[in-house]
Amino acid sequence: MRVTQSMLSSNMLRNLSNSYNKMGKLQNQIETGKKVTRPSDDPVVAMKGIGYRTALDKVEQFQRNIGEVNNWLDSSDDAFDKVGAALQRANELAVKAASDTTTDDDRKKVQSELDQLRQHIQNIANTKVGDKYIFSGTKTTTPLFDEKTGGYPTTNTDGFNKDVEIEVFDGITLKSNTNAIDVFKNIDQMFQDIKDGNIDYSEAIGKIDEQMNEILTTRADIGARQNRVELMNDRLQSQEVIATKQMSENEDVDMEKAITEMITQESIHRAALSVGARIIQPSLVDFLR
Amino acid sequence: MGSTFMGLETSKRGLYTQQSALYTTGHNISNANTLGYSRQRVNMEATLGYPGTGLNAPKIPGHLGTGVQAQSVQRIRDSFVDTQYRQESNKLGYWDSRSQAITQMEDVLNEPSDYGLAKSMNEFWKSLQDLSVNPENGGARSVVVQRGIAVADSFNYLSKSISQIQENAGKEIGISLKDVNSILEQIASINEQIQAIEPNGYMPNDLYDVRDTLLDELSTYFPIETSSVKSGGNSLAIAEGSVTVSLKLKDGTSLKLIDGKNFAQLRNSGASESDGVTPKSAIEGFHIVRLDSNGNDVPLNNNWTDAGTAVTQNINSFSDLGKLKSLVNSYGQVTGDPTAPVKGLYPDMLAKLDKMAEAFAEEFNKVHMGDPADSTKYPQGSDIYGNQGEAFFINKDDNSGAGITAKNIYISSDIVKDPGKVVASDSKPGDIEPGNGKFALVLANMKFASLGELGNVSAQTYFEGLIGQLGVDGQQATRLAFNSATLQQAVTERRASVSSVSLDEEMTNMIIFQQAYNASARMITVVDETLDKIINGMGRAGL
Repeated sequence: MRVTQSMLSSNMLRNLSNSYNKMGKLQNQIETGKKVTRPSDDPVVAMKGIGYRTALDKVEQFQRNIGEVNNWLDSSDDAFDKVGAALQRANELAVKAASDTTTDDDRKKVQSELDQLRQHIQNIANTKVGDKYIFSGTKTTTPLFDEKTGGYPTTNTDGFNKDVEIEVFDGITLKSNTNAIDVFKNIDQMFQDIKDGNIDYSEAIGKIDEQMNEILTTRADIGARQNRVELMNDRLQSQEVIATKQMSENEDVDMEKAITEMITQESIHRAALSVGARIIQPSLVDFLR
Repeated sequence: MGSTFMGLETSKRGLYTQQSALYTTGHNISNANTLGYSRQRVNMEATLGYPGTGLNAPKIPGHLGTGVQAQSVQRIRDSFVDTQYRQESNKLGYWDSRSQAITQMEDVLNEPSDYGLAKSMNEFWKSLQDLSVNPENGGARSVVVQRGIAVADSFNYLSKSISQIQENAGKEIGISLKDVNSILEQIASINEQIQAIEPNGYMPNDLYDVRDTLLDELSTYFPIETSSVKSGGNSLAIAEGSVTVSLKLKDGTSLKLIDGKNFAQLRNSGASESDGVTPKSAIEGFHIVRLDSNGNDVPLNNNWTDAGTAVTQNINSFSDLGKLKSLVNSYGQVTGDPTAPVKGLYPDMLAKLDKMAEAFAEEFNKVHMGDPADSTKYPQGSDIYGNQGEAFFINKDDNSGAGITAKNIYISSDIVKDPGKVVASDSKPGDIEPGNGKFALVLANMKFASLGELGNVSAQTYFEGLIGQLGVDGQQATRLAFNSATLQQAVTERRASVSSVSLDEEMTNMIIFQQAYNASARMITVVDETLDKIINGMGRAGL
């Protein structure tokens, strides 16, 4: 085959530009840390990338949601702890008042302290997390205990007895509130009965015990849910690791490989350049006088 | 006996011939880097021997050689390689343009990244999740509205940008047609010059080169077929004649574009700008016209007889080769199918985005509003005021919840003004439950709900599929563009091997012709000396 200068130089130019192309691609990979920058680089990676990003976004969101569930449950548990303590004190007072040695004067003092405890529990019924009343069912902007009317809503009033559910995983919701309207109402009624003298103090001791049991049951329920949240949280954490890993394996560049390829490409490019310098050979012109 | 001065004449012919070969060598060297130039060679031929035959021919031993003459100057070219080159040009033109078109679309869609439509959909989903956790929170509601606007903006942006690059493709079609028309005119004019020169027995090599370069250029736009017509008169047997150029169609028939000095011009047959070539809407096809003496279009039919009305060559009859068809395939062509009247890379993508926006937004609206008539599928919820929902996404053009496209999708201005109107609670209208976020959860998961209009896949999956398809198309286009470039390169190489100027070769030729010239000159001296002997030295014996 006949070979001419222009063929050699056009070939050299083409090869150099190919080499630059490859270097550019590798450089881009190393700089961005991503294997692909456009769908046509690898359609499957690009398509999966969208899915993995969504999966990761989901896990992050669910973690945020679960934080809120935790918040609710912790606050509820704490509130009932305080209710329990108040009932404990009420119990002590009732025992004291039930004693025959207690004078009427003292009983009045006991009664006024019981009134204070009753109020305290009413306040607890209006516990807020952030700007939400956590015991008001889905009517989170309305306090459970209405200070003006001095009463609790009736149980079947819409909303107050409803569950607040938060999604913590695909299709899995956790109930984050506690429907305590009956508990608070019964306690309040009991205090009312004591005050009105419907029940005497020795009877009251038994009643208070009953309520304390009720509180313990409620707290046990909250505790059980806290355990579940804990488990869910663990699961989400491992999901996060998995999702991140999947995404990274799918689209992140293998640095060792990319850098090695880059160095290889560099030396190829150098070789191409030095060969390029050689093709501009002297021609016959240089040897003719 | 030959003439006394026959030897001088023989050598003189040698001088002239070697000189013209030397000049041709100079011409080759000068054009070593000219695009499309083919090296030229002087075809030398021994002149007729002496004496010629005939009754009165002298009876001497013959034939006595009478020297050399330059019979013709010919360019060295392989027309078979040219045909191959042009075939590869078609493919390269097609795939190169297609891969560029897809690259532009990929740039606009910007996936996979943290800034594309998929991300804004994810953010919207997240904001609805947040709303389901904090339904009474005005901030969470505003975020839902803002993220909804971001989704709408993303759709608007994609739609607008793709329409823009589509418009650019339309302009490129116009420019390509203008270029094609100008090439046709130029080739016809070169044909005319060649027709004038060849009958005189000359070889217009440099005009052939220019014509071939123009044909190469033309073949990037569409597949062509060429045949040559002899000029007649006294033209040489190796003269190439004028070239007839036709556009090769898919069914194997062809459409004549150049015949000698006559040429046709291509026009866009559908709605176009005043220049007749830049399309205003999807391409139907092309038709040919000739220009009258005032430069006005006269419609031609396919046989080149004047027709009162233009005969449209439907775009479907063009094969998928060449830049022109590729641009049309990107820009959009009329299909004649009423269910999908336009097809093309850009219109298809726009249609898909429209479909996705419409399916997602309208289903979202249905869920958001609820349907008392179909309460199992679309139960009603209530907003923060206990009212039932209204359309969340609207069509910007008439503010209704119907006819939503990617171009006009937006968020209802009522909801933008008062994010409290986002329905988050699944309580019946009238029951105010600010802390109920169950409905927001249903709305959030709309992203993953399969939509009948999208073929029972979710918006998320549909978009993934759309990006995947784009990637596969892009990959194919890039690969085929690279392949055809490599093939074309190989053909270019072969062509260069035949036709390009080698300086070493020219230098060698230079020495050959120079020495031959010198030798002829010496020959003249020898003949001169022999004549000197006769004229000045004879008859002077003893002096």
